[in-house]
Parts: sequence; C-alpha cells; structure tokens
Amino acid sequence: MGERMLTPDVLVIGGGATGAGLLRDLARRGLRCLLVDRSDFGTGTSGRYHGLLHSGGRYVSKDPSAARECIVENQVLRRIAAGCIEDTGGIFVATPDDPDDYVDAFPGACAAAGIDCDEIPVTETLRREPALSPAIRRAFRVPDAALEPWQLIEANLADARAHGADAWPYQRVVAIQRDGRRISGVTVRDERSGASTRVVPRMIASAAGAWAGQVAALAGVELMMSPGKGTMIVYNQRMTDTVVNRCHPPGDGDIMVPVHTVAILGTTEELVEDPDDDETSSDEVQALINEGEALFPALRRMRVLRAYTGVRPLYRDPAVQGPEASDDGRAISRSHIILDHEARDGVEGLISIVGGKLTTYRLMAEQAANAVCAKLGMSEPCTTAGEPLPGMGDSRAHWLGHRLAEHEDRGGGDADLICECEMVTRAMLERFLDRRGPCSIDDIRRGTRLGMGPCQGGFCTFRAAAIMAERAPDGHTDRAAPGGSASDPEGALSTFLNERSKGTRAVAWGRQLQELWMVTGIYVGVMGLEGSSSEHGGEATEDHGAVS
Amino acid sequence: MPSADAVVVGAGLAGLSATLALAEAGARVHLLAKGHASTHWASGGLDVAALPRAVTVREAVARLADDARHPYAILSDALPPALEWIRGMLQHEGLPYVGTIDGPVVPVPTSIGATRPAAILPAAQAAALRPWEPGERLVVCGPGGFKDYWPHAIARGLRRAGAWWGSAGPERVDPLVVELPGVRDRLNLDAIELARLFEEPGWRCDAFAAIRRALIIGGLDGPGRMALPAVLGLDDHAAVLAEATSELPLEPFEVPLTPPSVPGLRLYRALRAAIVRAGGRVQIGQAVVRIGVRDGRIVEVAMEAAARQFVVRTDMLIMATGGIAGGGLVGHPDGTLREPLLDLPVEAPPAMSWLAREPLAAGGHPLEAAGIRSDAELRPVDASGRPAGPAGVRICGSLLAGQRYLRERCGDGVAVASGWLAAGAHRPSAPRRDAPQSLAGEVAG
Amino acid sequence: MSITELIEAAAHEPVTSTADGCLKCNVCNTVCPVSRVTDLFPGPKYVGPQAQRFRLAPGSPPQAGSVMPVLSPDHTVDLCSGCGFCTNACPAGVRIAEMNSRARAQMRADRRPHLRDWLLGQPDLLGRVGVPLAPLANAALRNRAARWVGETLVGVHRHAPLPTFSRRSFRTRWSRSRGRRLRAPGSADPERSVVYFHGCAANYYEPEVAEAAISVLERNGLEVIVPQQVCCGLPLISNGLYAQARARARHNLTTLATFARAGFRIVGTSTSCTHTLKAEYREMLDLDDEDARAVSGATWDICELLLDLHERDRLDTRFGRSDRHLPYHPPCQLRSHGIGLPALDLLALVPGLDAVDLDLDCCGVAGTYGLKREKYDIAMAVGQPLFRKLRESGADEAACDSETCRWHIAKATGIRVRHPVQILAAAYVAYAAAEAEAAGAPSDG
Repeated sequence: MGERMLTPDVLVIGGGATGAGLLRDLARRGLRCLLVDRSDFGTGTSGRYHGLLHSGGRYVSKDPSAARECIVENQVLRRIAAGCIEDTGGIFVATPDDPDDYVDAFPGACAAAGIDCDEIPVTETLRREPALSPAIRRAFRVPDAALEPWQLIEANLADARAHGADAWPYQRVVAIQRDGRRISGVTVRDERSGASTRVVPRMIASAAGAWAGQVAALAGVELMMSPGKGTMIVYNQRMTDTVVNRCHPPGDGDIMVPVHTVAILGTTEELVEDPDDDETSSDEVQALINEGEALFPALRRMRVLRAYTGVRPLYRDPAVQGPEASDDGRAISRSHIILDHEARDGVEGLISIVGGKLTTYRLMAEQAANAVCAKLGMSEPCTTAGEPLPGMGDSRAHWLGHRLAEHEDRGGGDADLICECEMVTRAMLERFLDRRGPCSIDDIRRGTRLGMGPCQGGFCTFRAAAIMAERAPDGHTDRAAPGGSASDPEGALSTFLNERSKGTRAVAWGRQLQELWMVTGIYVGVMGLEGSSSEHGGEATEDHGAVS
Repeated sequence: MPSADAVVVGAGLAGLSATLALAEAGARVHLLAKGHASTHWASGGLDVAALPRAVTVREAVARLADDARHPYAILSDALPPALEWIRGMLQHEGLPYVGTIDGPVVPVPTSIGATRPAAILPAAQAAALRPWEPGERLVVCGPGGFKDYWPHAIARGLRRAGAWWGSAGPERVDPLVVELPGVRDRLNLDAIELARLFEEPGWRCDAFAAIRRALIIGGLDGPGRMALPAVLGLDDHAAVLAEATSELPLEPFEVPLTPPSVPGLRLYRALRAAIVRAGGRVQIGQAVVRIGVRDGRIVEVAMEAAARQFVVRTDMLIMATGGIAGGGLVGHPDGTLREPLLDLPVEAPPAMSWLAREPLAAGGHPLEAAGIRSDAELRPVDASGRPAGPAGVRICGSLLAGQRYLRERCGDGVAVASGWLAAGAHRPSAPRRDAPQSLAGEVAG
Repeated sequence: MSITELIEAAAHEPVTSTADGCLKCNVCNTVCPVSRVTDLFPGPKYVGPQAQRFRLAPGSPPQAGSVMPVLSPDHTVDLCSGCGFCTNACPAGVRIAEMNSRARAQMRADRRPHLRDWLLGQPDLLGRVGVPLAPLANAALRNRAARWVGETLVGVHRHAPLPTFSRRSFRTRWSRSRGRRLRAPGSADPERSVVYFHGCAANYYEPEVAEAAISVLERNGLEVIVPQQVCCGLPLISNGLYAQARARARHNLTTLATFARAGFRIVGTSTSCTHTLKAEYREMLDLDDEDARAVSGATWDICELLLDLHERDRLDTRFGRSDRHLPYHPPCQLRSHGIGLPALDLLALVPGLDAVDLDLDCCGVAGTYGLKREKYDIAMAVGQPLFRKLRESGADEAACDSETCRWHIAKATGIRVRHPVQILAAAYVAYAAAEAEAAGAPSDG
C-alpha cells in the first residue's frame, strides 16, 4: 500500500464518486492526497442511486443548465468510463395522462440543451420493448445509459493511486482541530481496529455529500444539508433493456432503469433530517408500483427483490432560496455547489462540495479541484476528461450477457460459481480479496455483485464467508471490517443475510416472500444459524414483537 | 375422468404421509403436486420438537401441546403411533432412522459450522447424536473443489465456545480437505453428482483410500468421528454408508448441505416407492387449479394440463400444499396472506407486522405462525371455529396455523402426524388385512 | 387482482417471464437426466432461469458504440434434451425446458444454420424423399460406410436409432383404400367421428401404428377422418427453426381449426405431435389466436381419448386374454401432457396382461437429440438404467406411446417396442379369434 501520508497536501473526506473523482483529479495535478471514508467506498449516495447515466432529458424543462451539464458529462464518461456503462439507450414515453404541452415541447427543449433526441414511432417502440404500455402516445429516444458506480469509483481510485495518492476505507473522521480560524489537523479512527491516525493536510476537501453537514460541524462550521431520501425498488426481471422515462414534469416512480440483470424503478423524494435514514415503507413501495404501472401494465405481477433508499445530497443555499423556501425537495436545485468555508464561514483550510448527481461527478470534482488548487496557489489544468480510466476503455466489456459469455468461454459449469445468480466465480472472488484484504461480505457484494440476484445471498453468502475463513490461517485475528469476518464466518453470514432481509421487508409478498422463507428455513432449520448456548439452556425468547 | 377415493395435493412430508396411509388402507389415492419443495431442501431428519430447557422431544411436544393454538394440541396423541408407523415404512424401504422421542435433544454439527438441535435422524447422520466422550476428536472432512462444504470454516465454527450449548463437544475439531479422484477437474459439481460418484464401487474405494491416507498424513488418528457432507449415495445409499463405516477409521456421519438435499431426496424416494408399491398414484408436474364443489361438498380436483384440465373425481381432498415456503400460502402485495386453492380463511398477523427487523434473531418473524385453523379432525375452520370450505376437506402439514416450525423444530412431527391423522378420516372400501386399527372405521366428511 | 385472475394471468404468461419465479432451489437439477450422465451439462437451473437473466430480449435495440452482443451468450444450453422433467419438478412454475428451447432458437438466430438440424427438423421432407425410394434408402441407412460418411459430413451419429422408411406411406394406403381426404367436416357427426392426426412417424415409418389406431377407433364405433395435414413442426421447434415451424403450424391450424370448431376431437398416436398441438404452438411459437386455441382444446392423445370413452362406459372392453408381463415406458412428452398414464389404465383392461410402468425417467433419445453425433453417447448413457431394467424383466416386448423412444429402446435392447394402441388392437383381434374358434367358424381376422 505504500507509506502512510500523514501530511498530505489534500485530505479528501468521502469515497463516493465525487471524492474518488476529486482524488484522481488532484493526484493527476501532482498533489499528494489521501482519501478516507467511514465505510467502504461507494456506500453513500453513489452506491444507492438509480444506476442512471443521465442524458439530461429529465431536466430540460425545469433546469436547462443542469440538463446541459448532464449531456456534456454523459459524453465525457462514455469516452473515459466506457467499461462501466451499459449502453442501453433511453426513451421518454408519453402516456395518455401526460400533459400535451410538456410532451410537445420536449424535443425542442432537448435540442436546446444539446441532447440528441429523436422521436420513434410507437409501433417500433413497442416492438423493441413489448412490456411497455400499448397506450403510450409518443416516444423519444435519448442517450441515457446505465452506469455502474463501484467499478467507476474503483477505477478513479486506481488512477489516483497510480499517480501517488492513497485511499483508505473504514476510516472515520472523528475530530477536526482548529487553531483559531485555521484547521490544524484531523483525527481519523480506523473503524475496524479502533486505532487513531492524525492527518495534517494543507487543505481538506469534504466530498461527504449528504453527510457534509456532519463533517463541517466537526470543524465548527454550520452547513445545513437537506438530505432528500428516495426509495427505489429492484425488479428481478429486466422487463426493459432500455431506460424508460415518463415524458412529464419529473415526479415519483417515473423512471425504470435496467441495471445488469435487474431493473430498478424509482424514485420518491422525502426530505429527512438524518442522512443515514434508510427506512422504506410498503406504502411508498405501493405508490411506486402504482406509478410504474402506467409505463408497464404487467408490473404488479413482476417479482420485486428488494426496496432500498438513497439520500440526495441536497443543499438548501440560503442565498438562493430564502428561509421561507418550500419543503418540496424537487424544487431544490440539483446543481452542485462548491462552498469555500474561508469566505463563507471564516474557517481556513476546508472546502465542501455538495449537491449534484452522479452523472456530473467528474465535473464537480474538476471544479472542486480547481478551488483546492486556487487555495494552494497552483494552476495545473484538469486532465480527467481526456484520459480513459484504467481498464475502462473498452465499451464492449459491459453488456448484459458478458459474464455468462466469458464464463462459457472458459468452459462454463457450476463447480466454481460462488454466486450463481450473478455468475461470480471463485477466481473473481479471490482476486477481489487479494486486492482488498480483509473485508466484509457487503464489500464483496459491491465489488463483485455477489448476493444481488434473486436468492439475495441465500446460496452464496456462506460460500463467501467460508472462503474468507479458508484464506485466513487459524487463530489469526484480522482487522476485520464491521459486519463479520474471516474469523467468524457465521457472524458474517447472519449480518449479511439480515442486511439483505431488511430490503425485503417492504416487498414481502409473492415469490420473494417464498424465497425469504426458503432461505431462512435453510439457514435456521438445516444450518442452525441462530443456534448457540444462549438459545438452548438460556432464556426462551417469545415473539419478537410488532415492528413499526 | 378418473376417480379416486381420495386426492392429496402436495408432495411434502405431510402429503406423502397421508397418501401412503391411504394407499396402505386400500384406498384409491392420487397424490398431485406441482413440483417438489421442502422435501428436497430439508435436512432429511425428522424434526419433531425442540425447545430451550426441554430435555427430550416428548417434553417439548408436551409443552407445545399445552398451547391450545398449536397443532400439537390436536396431534399429540396421534404423534407417537404416526412416527412409529412412518419409521417402519422407511425401514422397510431401506432407510432406517435412529433416535426416539424419549431420547435427548442434542446439538449436531451443520455445514456452516453451527449446531442444530436433533433427536431423530437417518442412520447416516445418527453417529452425531451420541454424546462426546472425553478425548474424542471430530474430523470435518470434505472433498477439495466442492463449494458447498468447507471443512476449515466448519471446524472453526464448531470450535467456538458455546457451539455445543455448554455441554461437552468433541475435544478436538480438525478440518481435512481430501482430493478425491477427478473431482477438481469437473466443470459441474453438486451434492447429487458427488452422491452418484460414490455409487460407483471403484471410485468410492479409491475415495475412501484417499481419505484414509489423508488422515494418516494429517496425524488425525485416535478415537473419534468424522463429519462428511451428505453425499454418500442416493439409490444405493445403504451400500455406500456400510462401506464408509467399515472402511474409515473414524465413525462417519453425514452433515446435510444447502439444497439439493441428498438425504431429503432419499426420504422422498423411499416414501414414493412405498406409495407406488401400495398402489397409490403419484403425479408431479401440474398445478391443481380448481376444486369442484357441489351441494357444499368436494366432487372433483382439476389440474392444469397441456390442454383442458385433468380432472379427478373424488369426495375427499387432503390439502398438504405447504406453508409460505411450499407455496400453499401466498403473500399478496395488498398485505394479505391467502390460500390459493379454496381461499380458506388464513390466520395471519396484520400486514405491517409480518416480518421482524432482524429475521435471524431468536423470536423469528410473527408471520411464521400463520396458517389455517382446524378442528380436531383437521377440517379447516374460520376464526370463530366454524367449518370453512366445502365438506370433504382435511388440511395438514405447514398449512396448519399456530406452529413456528423453525423455532420449535416441529415441522416434520406435525407433517407426519397430521398426514396420518387426515388419512384416517377416510373409510376405505376394501381395508387391507394389515391396516393399522386407527385407520379403519372413521366416518368420512 | 383476485386469485383467479392471477392464476389465469399466469397461465398465459410468456415462457421467458416464468424465470422470474425461480427460487434457485436446485430441485430441477435433481431430476435432470442429462446432468445425471455428463459433466458437460451444467443442469437446468444454470441454462434455464439463471442464464435467462443474462440474455437480451429479441427486440433489444442495438447498443450504440459497442459491438452488437449476441442475444444468447451461452452455448451449454444446447445440451438440454428438452425432456421437461425440470419443468415438472419446479415448485415455482418456471418453464425451464421451454425457455431452454427458446434460447436454442435464439442461438440459431445468432449463428450459422446447421444442415443437420435443418434435415433432422424435417422428417416429412425426408419421408417424402425416402418412401418412394424405400428399399434403396433403407439399405443406405443400414450400410455402415454410408452411416460413417453421414456422421462425418452431416453429424448424424452412425449408430443413431433411425427408423426404416415404409414402402408406402400411410396416407397413400388410406387414400387408396378409403377414398378422399376431407378438407371440411361436411356431414360427419362429431359425436361419432374423430379426426386423426397421424404425424410423420405413422405416415412414413410406422403405418401399422396408424392402422392399429384406426381399427381400435372403428371398433368403438368412431368414424375416422384423415384430413389434410403436415408435420406438426416439433422437430423444427426442437432444432430452433421457428420460422419453418410456424409455417407448418399455420397450415395445420387452418385445416384442423375448422374441425375443432365443429366439435370434432383431434386424436393422435404420437405424444409428441399431440403435445405440440396442445401446447407448443402457443408456448413456443407464440401462436395464440382463436384457431390455435380451438385446436389445442380439441386435441387428444389416443389413449387419453380411449380412456375417456371407458370412463363414460363407451369403450368396447372385449379384449382377448394375454398372459404376459408387458413393461411400459411413459414418454417424457406424455408427462408434459399432464393426463396421467392413460395407456396403463387401458392395458390393465386386457385380461392377464401385467402392464407395469418401468418408472424411470427419460429413455435418452429426446426426439432428434439422441441422433446427433455429439449427443448420441449422452442419449445412450441416459437410457442405460431403462435398458437394463427392461432386459432384466425378461419380457419380449415393451410398450411406449412415442415413436422416437420406441426406435431408441428397441435398438438399444433388441426388444420389440410397440405403441399401446397396437397392443389393444391385437387384443381385439385375439378376442375375435377366440370367439370364432369357440363358435367353430374361421376367424375374419
């Protein structure tokens, strides 16, 4: 891993797309940088978004400048991150309930924003996507695509490392010291081992997104974030191979995105206090399905694997929106903002990047890097738009069937498939573990897609836990990530399954409920997963009690 | 259309028990099922009851039977003879079981390195039931390249304090991975394929020799037992098990794996063979989609065939369609839990309370106790105890409300006892000479 | 949605959508005859619902900027024989064998067409060429050198169980002996007539099966109509040539629908042909119009129809005595019909005849699958247990309702295999002979 940089030029806080992009940008400009995230990379908003590489069509009416930013970055990412992108294309479809004026204005608004938009005949649209409602009136094709976040983040970090930077997961910033107006240092705690490290950077760039307020508070800065929680539901079948948007003013449940082997319907918007609020309710889920049915009439019969939430890092800028601003989350601009805390709050050595969306991460990072460089008196230009990310240059890598095709080319068969649903082989898993070292199964999930298929970890989790145990010599106490480890495969298993089950709670019906019952039956019934001395011979525990 | 004295829907343990009991009693019985579920996923043992601080199965059954809402309140008398009966059947088919309901409930190893409570197990798993003597070792042995059995992880789990509930476990637990001939080179490998390999006499001779060598090289001798994955043969299981027992220096026992369950498959095939031998009909593949009722009574059962429906006339229907896992109870997006064949009234907690936050925590999900209420003759009733559905119906197995089979480990006991009891409701036209007494002479409907 | 609506919706769900229900439970893998014998086939779960999630839908838009990916990225699905045991065993309604067939069709579309599959897909074409040249054609097929060349150039295994061409097709015999073939019902009475779908096997290779069927139907007072018809198209479907299959299908539907709507039953002696008419036109070829539904609802397997007559007391049960053991093999396609085993029930009516279900799985040939060079050995391995059991039975004859199974089993065991209707026809003849003998008059035969 290289030497620890205790006095880097820049400390980047937050390992989502923005932070990773910023680290890459700064490292390419010759700065020595360190990135820390309190958890694994991409566990914040970046890892919980809809999966969409926006064309910008969604914003053409209400937020044309955001739309323009989207399409420009869309094209940049297609050049530099082709390997993370499934080129699904996108369509905007008008249902009978969608307002004519919006629909009629749509192609013109796209053109004005520089977004390629062709109208395609309804019959052709329905031929390509037979699951769409036959009642649609018009359809427009736009260059939406599906963007895989963790590979993207990993590639940015890899490039950053290649330019001398470092990035550490599971390092939480617990204190920021001040010396008058100046930030004098940062205390970072290893979430696995508990050890503390002191970092004294010249500049801190907080890319903590929805958590930016919490980070700023450590420095004594008031930064009010309005986390905008959105619920999404994951369909087991890819009923569409194209991104489908509803052609109307943006609302809930009006986008369906094919993502690898699933399709994700979203989303909702609810302003919340706590960016870690990840509650979903079945009412929200039902509302999403009701909306989605306008696009896909058979939706109610299709199997939902899980519901999950992401929080948008919305920033309510008091200068732009007064204190009487409405609570309508959708009214808050999605544009990103660089906050210079020296100018804004009189605190030197800290900038925050808030707002924005994953599609424009690179641009956000570029502007944040420009701000950092300005503070450090440097004028190196940004080079992130020109160079493909390492290993991401080939667009042919990322199509739906690639894992199956590659596996079959290697001979096929199930003998070494650890996660059969998502075709994760033992070799893939071991490569990930070699790269990452000790980690949790959830880390493996992000890195390989293990556990993301219909069985939601039912068959693969224990194999992954066992492989981790096989690799760690007996008696070795590793710096395990929270959530189970090599030394406690059973704990790893129950933590991961509990986590997966959380997502099933709001969608517990039909085949997915049956799947949950079958998997629980196997692990509790056949494997005795919860069995321990506290269970037998100890207190009998009665019903767990109602859940809220 | 064909006719039958009784139709059983569902080929789980409850349905198989009911069908076999009916066939034995001379009834013309059709077993219809749309596929296989719990039999092919389960451990192959007979889980009758296990509760904290209940030393024997019988004690646990008695405690559960004290709860008027538990199926054992109705079934506890039928349970011992039903178990005796099915064990006799299985013994006859070459699949003997060890342990009784008066024996202690003990921890037996599982393939994730935990232990589960058990008392009655098939012979291949039975060596795990015996208490561990001081100085005894356990060798967890599996083939290299088999992704469903991981000796190191299992051994690590079994060495944890508390894995054996505070009672004495083996003094030493050691993992042993053995290269068995050709296994690593295979493109495809699951438990069934390994079981078939073990059925080849030449291969298994080499395999046991390889295990013996590995034990010596690993210095793993001394008194003890060996935990093998449950792959010791399928149709030829008895011969493979006998050879394993005689060829291996440590007494072997099988540990059940994730599905496909080879022990579960053996149990299914044994009961199916007994049913066919007794003249019963088993038809697997199409879903029952309609129950014909006339004048408030069952008259026919219809399956979805390739064209039209395949209809069997009958006036006795035994529903053993399973709980949520088996597909006999279906959760709907509107928050209701329904029984799809006859829309029998289902007792379930309100929609918001179905699932606990931590599904693997001790209490389990509130939804686990959901099911259909029955009277003492296993006729379905509604919440106020009034008969529900048409006459001629009996329900059994996981359909029955009030059991939490995962926490109480009562699923197999309820299945066998209720299947056997439900079958007894039929008065056969020509009882066999050796039909058990309790099956003759009960009034149908 | 009500439960009825849900069930109805599910009944018309496209085959590939049923992958949505897969629980990954592995039950399908426990019943697959092909994975039982070869390490090259990953099993139904892998090639079916699991791989299905990685296949792009046929209408998928081209993905700009990338090399056009193939719709079906895998090839091991090619080893699926289509026997359908997996579909029958699945508890979640996944139509595995059917989606495998569709995936193979997609593979055909992605890759170059194969001459062999085009040939094997058209037994009618082969028959039209081979029957007029029967002596020469049969000699060529028996010639080892010719078969060796065939294997090398075309890919049909030199030992493949090919049938012999009849010297005259059934249709030729029929038209010469019975006159015109009807295109429309005319004045025929649907209660007293049935339409016979003979299929390629009875037409070109085994006209004796057709004749036996007709004699049995006529014995039971039914007039037999043999309308215009072409190959059902199943071999084209199994070989992924859907466009050609649709052409055959539309031709058949046009003729047969007229009869179906007029209330005639369409009876067939090949369980493959009748299954195709009942289900595969809709499921595999997406032909779901009124004609297709009418024909589907009117199609009967011959034993299914005869048993139906018997259940309504309309079957002539005067069968001559035949004291022997007769092993019976139910074809895989028959199981997919979902009609039970009507042949067994009929054969039980023949006095003295001990007809017993061999009760194994697939014979291995699976239509044209086992004829292929790369699959012949698999087909033989799959059938081994059946061949062994049949030989051990000591019987000199067996019965089976599917032609390709008959040819495969006969070739592998040397034992004669006939269609159950031939057994019945012979039993009628035997009865008449015994009567005549008893009356002292010469029999009319």
